[in-house]
Amino acid sequence: MTAAPLLDVRNLKKSYSIGRSGLFSKRSLKVLHDVSFSVAPGEVLGLVGESGSGKSTIGRAILRLIDSQSDVMRFDGQDLNSISPVRMRSLRKQMQIIFQDPYASLDPRKTIRAVLSEALDAHGLHKGAARVPRLIELVTLVGLDPSFLDRRPHEFSGGQRQRIGIARALAVEPSFIVCDEAVSALDVSIQAQVLNLLADLRAKTGVSLLFISHDLSVVRYISDRVMVLYLGRVMEVGPADQVHFSPKHPYTAALVSAEPSLHRENRRIRLTGEIPSPLALPSGCIFRSRCPYAQPACAETVPPLQTVGDQHQSACLRTDIL
Amino acid sequence: MMSVRNFHKRMILPSLFLAALIIIPFAAPLITADDPVKIAVRYRLAAPDLEHWLGRDEFGRDRLARVLYGGQVSLTVAFVATTIACIIGTFFGLVGAYFRGPSEFVTSRLSDIVLCFPPILLALLVVTLFGPGSVTLVAVLSVLYFPTFARITFSEALRVTSLDFVEASRALGTPSYRIVLGTVLPNIAGPLSVQYSLTAAAAITIESGLSFLGLGVVPPAPSWGQMIRGARQFMNQDPLGIMIPCAALVLTIFAINFFCDRLRDTLDPKGASGSSMDEVSKPKAQADAPTIKDPDVVAVINKLRLETAHFGTPAVIEDVSLILRANQCTALVGESGSGKSLSSLALMGLLPGAIRQVGGTLQLRRKSDEVVDLGFLDARTLEDIRGNDIAMIFQEPMTSLNPIHKISDQMIEAITAHRPMSRSDARAHAIALLKRVGMNDAERRIDSYPDQMSGGMRQRVMIGMALSCEPRLLIADEPTTALDVTIQAEIIELLQTLRQDQGNGLSLLFISHNLGVVADIADRVAVMYSGLIVEEGPAAQILRDPHHPYTRALIESMPSSHEELNSARGDRLPAISGTPPLPSARPSGCTFRDRCPIALPACADIRPALYPSADGERAVRCLRAPEAPAGVMNHQTEAA
Amino acid sequence: MLAFISRRMAAAVAMLLVIGTIIFSLLIIVPGDPAELLLSTGGGSASAEAIANLRVNMGLDKPVLTQYVTFLYNTARLDFGTSIVDNGSISSVIALRLPRTLEIIIAGTIFALLLAIPAGTAAGLRAGGKFDITASAINALLTSIPGFVLGTLFIFFFAQVLGWLPAGGYVAFATNPMQHLQMLVLPALTVGLHLATIVFRMTRASVLEMRGHDWVRTAVAKGLRRKRVVRRHILYNALGPIITVVGLQLGILLGSTVLVEFIYNWPGLSGLLVSAVEQRDYPTVRAVILTVAAIFIGINLVIDILSSLLDPRIRLQ
Ligand SMILES: Nc1ncnc2c1ncn2[C@@H]1O[C@H](COP(=O)(O)OP(=O)(O)OP(=O)(O)O)[C@@H](O)[C@H]1O
Ligand code: SF4
Ligand code: SF4
Ligand SMILES: [Mg+2]
Repeated sequence: MTAAPLLDVRNLKKSYSIGRSGLFSKRSLKVLHDVSFSVAPGEVLGLVGESGSGKSTIGRAILRLIDSQSDVMRFDGQDLNSISPVRMRSLRKQMQIIFQDPYASLDPRKTIRAVLSEALDAHGLHKGAARVPRLIELVTLVGLDPSFLDRRPHEFSGGQRQRIGIARALAVEPSFIVCDEAVSALDVSIQAQVLNLLADLRAKTGVSLLFISHDLSVVRYISDRVMVLYLGRVMEVGPADQVHFSPKHPYTAALVSAEPSLHRENRRIRLTGEIPSPLALPSGCIFRSRCPYAQPACAETVPPLQTVGDQHQSACLRTDIL
Repeated sequence: MMSVRNFHKRMILPSLFLAALIIIPFAAPLITADDPVKIAVRYRLAAPDLEHWLGRDEFGRDRLARVLYGGQVSLTVAFVATTIACIIGTFFGLVGAYFRGPSEFVTSRLSDIVLCFPPILLALLVVTLFGPGSVTLVAVLSVLYFPTFARITFSEALRVTSLDFVEASRALGTPSYRIVLGTVLPNIAGPLSVQYSLTAAAAITIESGLSFLGLGVVPPAPSWGQMIRGARQFMNQDPLGIMIPCAALVLTIFAINFFCDRLRDTLDPKGASGSSMDEVSKPKAQADAPTIKDPDVVAVINKLRLETAHFGTPAVIEDVSLILRANQCTALVGESGSGKSLSSLALMGLLPGAIRQVGGTLQLRRKSDEVVDLGFLDARTLEDIRGNDIAMIFQEPMTSLNPIHKISDQMIEAITAHRPMSRSDARAHAIALLKRVGMNDAERRIDSYPDQMSGGMRQRVMIGMALSCEPRLLIADEPTTALDVTIQAEIIELLQTLRQDQGNGLSLLFISHNLGVVADIADRVAVMYSGLIVEEGPAAQILRDPHHPYTRALIESMPSSHEELNSARGDRLPAISGTPPLPSARPSGCTFRDRCPIALPACADIRPALYPSADGERAVRCLRAPEAPAGVMNHQTEAA
Repeated sequence: MLAFISRRMAAAVAMLLVIGTIIFSLLIIVPGDPAELLLSTGGGSASAEAIANLRVNMGLDKPVLTQYVTFLYNTARLDFGTSIVDNGSISSVIALRLPRTLEIIIAGTIFALLLAIPAGTAAGLRAGGKFDITASAINALLTSIPGFVLGTLFIFFFAQVLGWLPAGGYVAFATNPMQHLQMLVLPALTVGLHLATIVFRMTRASVLEMRGHDWVRTAVAKGLRRKRVVRRHILYNALGPIITVVGLQLGILLGSTVLVEFIYNWPGLSGLLVSAVEQRDYPTVRAVILTVAAIFIGINLVIDILSSLLDPRIRLQ
């Protein structure tokens, strides 16, 4: 992207300390290794990867819901690494999150009115007489009936709850939303409704999304660009259709081919072995233990992200195969 | 979810009971004019009379007055101490949980330490130093109990703060104090109030115990413990003297416990209504002798109907019929709650306690070629069939294996349950099975515990175990839904090869909500919607050319069916509106009608049957399908 | 496994140390002179000479740090000093009485486990059934009766009204085994019933929970006999939580033994404790409480190790 990015992240790292091996030394588990990316205003960046690849960690790290280390983390021109807590709190108006589990993401004790009002109160928006019209506007925006305002979450279906979660995120008119597996828990027919809603909102409000999912075809549909993650490292990043239809990294290729599909011919690329434990990662290319094209050289160096096409980068030593 | 009205109704009795027992002692001056400490030795141990309803004690004091005023002391000490403990403990717990760090350490360690002292001993220790008395008691009891409150608050608050909705509040920028007070505290109020009642009961017990030892409330002030102590020497002459304070004490504690139990049940509806594990009600008489003519057919489900055990509730499964053939994979697809799992559990005789089979037959051809109806078998025969003739694998590989037994033990028991075999032979067989399902190093890994394996590996173990007795029918209920795509592809492939290798012609019933997976594996597909099969036939035909609008909608709403669409290009997915109805809210006529894009007025009147096609290969439950008989909605057809 | 055990042992020792420190510092943080405080009775204070004697006796005249180190050192050697009242060795009194208390507790625990685990299992397997409702109701009532009330009522019925068993007292087993056992019945029953209510509740809840787990469904789907499913896949899994709770409840149990022994005139630790409290014999009280805490920690250590044997997840972390 040539325009100034809305979000710019360089070398994001995160590790968790777990248990202890000896009496004193703590073991640490690295879940993100130098992840760099940017999101342009109005852009949807898709993030795919299998479980444990660190997708949610990235989302939460950007929103500063968990601690992390990075060389650069700028949002809308402000440095998130050095921002004061007070400034951060007001910046939260611009960055929001939608969660995966529609049942855990709403407080069972609060009415929808209370849920949405909390969002507005946090930033002193639409006080007094302006409040009710705004609440009605919000629920209508996500396709719900204003009469739902005084109901509690347990009276709603999963799809309706997810819409409420979206309304909560939209309440503060953010310019950026992290959608963490926002449609994964929904049945296909409901998933299509919510995807359409997100597509409409993006057209209407120009919001940027970081769309996290393990489902490649969903990500391809909703995103402009897609970033593929494996065990906390970026494997490939590029325009959605290119990554999906002509992947340049063996892992992406395997992922696409493993995706069950009604119409594509079965041209599955076999992966061998299991996803390695994050405690015992292979040297060199992290995908080496399952890669069908691995060579001795792959154990030596960590492949850097190399440009393989227009806005398209891949982290594989072997540019000859795909 | 428990409704508010229901909540109140269940709490009325215990609340009244408890309130009465608390109020009565404090209403003492209204009940008796006697002084609880006035001694009248002349009347010692006098029997009850009109003025002194409960008689007099060993010093001639009025017993009614003593019980009532004694109650005041006991209750005050207990509730004041509990309240102090609760407030301090909750504060520490919340601070510890929300801000973590050193306060977390203090909270959890402190309660570990206090828990090491039997409460009454700690109380005695303090009494030794400070001498007995109510104030000492209150102080000791509060110190004793606040760590428990801190601990409970801490762990509950930790659970709540990790929930998405608290994270959402943080993401919104709501200030910490508002999150703690407005979101976390209300969500832990339940367990806290239960702990409050428990503690109050324990405090009363300790107070009266100490007073009983003569180390609690200082005489002559009355207290129940003291009254028991005093009456003990005279219990031969005067049994009433000991019964009255005992009864008062027990009743009060009982009232608190009762209240607390109810509260716990109401707050956590899970524990309250359990259904028995094994009482499966069955239709009484067997209708017809089961027959399956076609030797290729392994099982036949015919017009299966399941209802919940509550009287007058609608059927959760209305009409499911399926023929399962050897060497064939039948897929059952549909959205959540459509009844896929229940249909398959019925085949295993594994229906949950709350669900009854009220109609239809479930016939199975056993390996011995004997045909049985699964709905009419005794428990023993069912046990012989499960795992042997029919086997099942489940969705959640993480929880489907017992975490505390080794893989080897769990596989061996599955084998020896049906085959007379020595343990070592069974073990060798189990290792062979694990190799067959693609586990490297099976000899070593068979001795690991489930937690040492990844989800994909556990699912392989489950598959190996299911195949251990070479069943004719294998039911797989969403076996890959919990797995990553690459692992899912491996498991599907494994199931395919196993099916082809199995000598006796395995029939596979594959349950899934993912049509892509179904396309990979199934020979035939049955689509379920709201307790009914709405379309059934050869997989390739149905997925290429669905005749039911619901099947079509399922296929169309998958983004993978539209590789040309992209939201960035302003495209929308073809989606149907609405959600599947609950069994209790199914519309009249066609159950799909309020979501159906091509519904006609007639669809509201006629509940379509499963209309077979001319060649008998497929069937559709839709009035507008090509298979529907011409006359079925003759008068309305023009309306289209 | 060895690492696990040694870690737990280290934690237990650390805990003992902390508890010793707390008990020690109670004397320091008491406002005023502890010796004076201990000898004061109601309003009147004791003679200066008596106070000075006590100070020397308890070592209160030395610097705090010296006192602390001496206290820890002596305690580690199981030397609890001498009683303020009769100057006898506290350690030997405890050695004499501790086994008697343990006898009641062990007898009571065995009774409780034998009664409550089968009953709780049956109730949990058929939650909502007749047996469950009856047993849970009885349990709720029993839970509401404090140990000393139960003991008093037992004496009233079994000793006074029915005359079946002695009302209390103690005869050494060596002197008269039959009579010893007769006298043991009521105290053990009292302590045991109390524990049984807790074990019943826990067993029922735990069985109810385990029953709903997916692996039970897997076990049934394998075609295992019902008995085996209950034993291997429900009860065996429930055992861990049950013994953990029993371990924690033993603290309360040890406490209620104090009252039970007092009621039945059973000369265990409690008689010693109660009279020591009455006479404000702080060193003795302190020694008894340390002993009880040590027993409690010891039992929980054993239980930790037991449950790690039952559940590989604890071992593997
Ligand atoms: N134990 C039960 N008691 C009462 N109703 C039940 C019970 N189990 C399931 N049901 C109801 O029966 C219907 C079918 O449930 P079933 O579990 O078979 O659906 P499913 O198609 O397997 O869904 P999923 O895709 O979510 O697994 C649902 O309406 C559900 O609410
Ligand atoms: S660098 Fe080597 S191992 Fe890694 S993806 Fe490329 S070919 Fe495979
Ligand atoms: S019967 Fe009518 S409502 Fe039902 S699926 Fe067919 S057209 Fe739609
Ligand atoms: Mg299901």
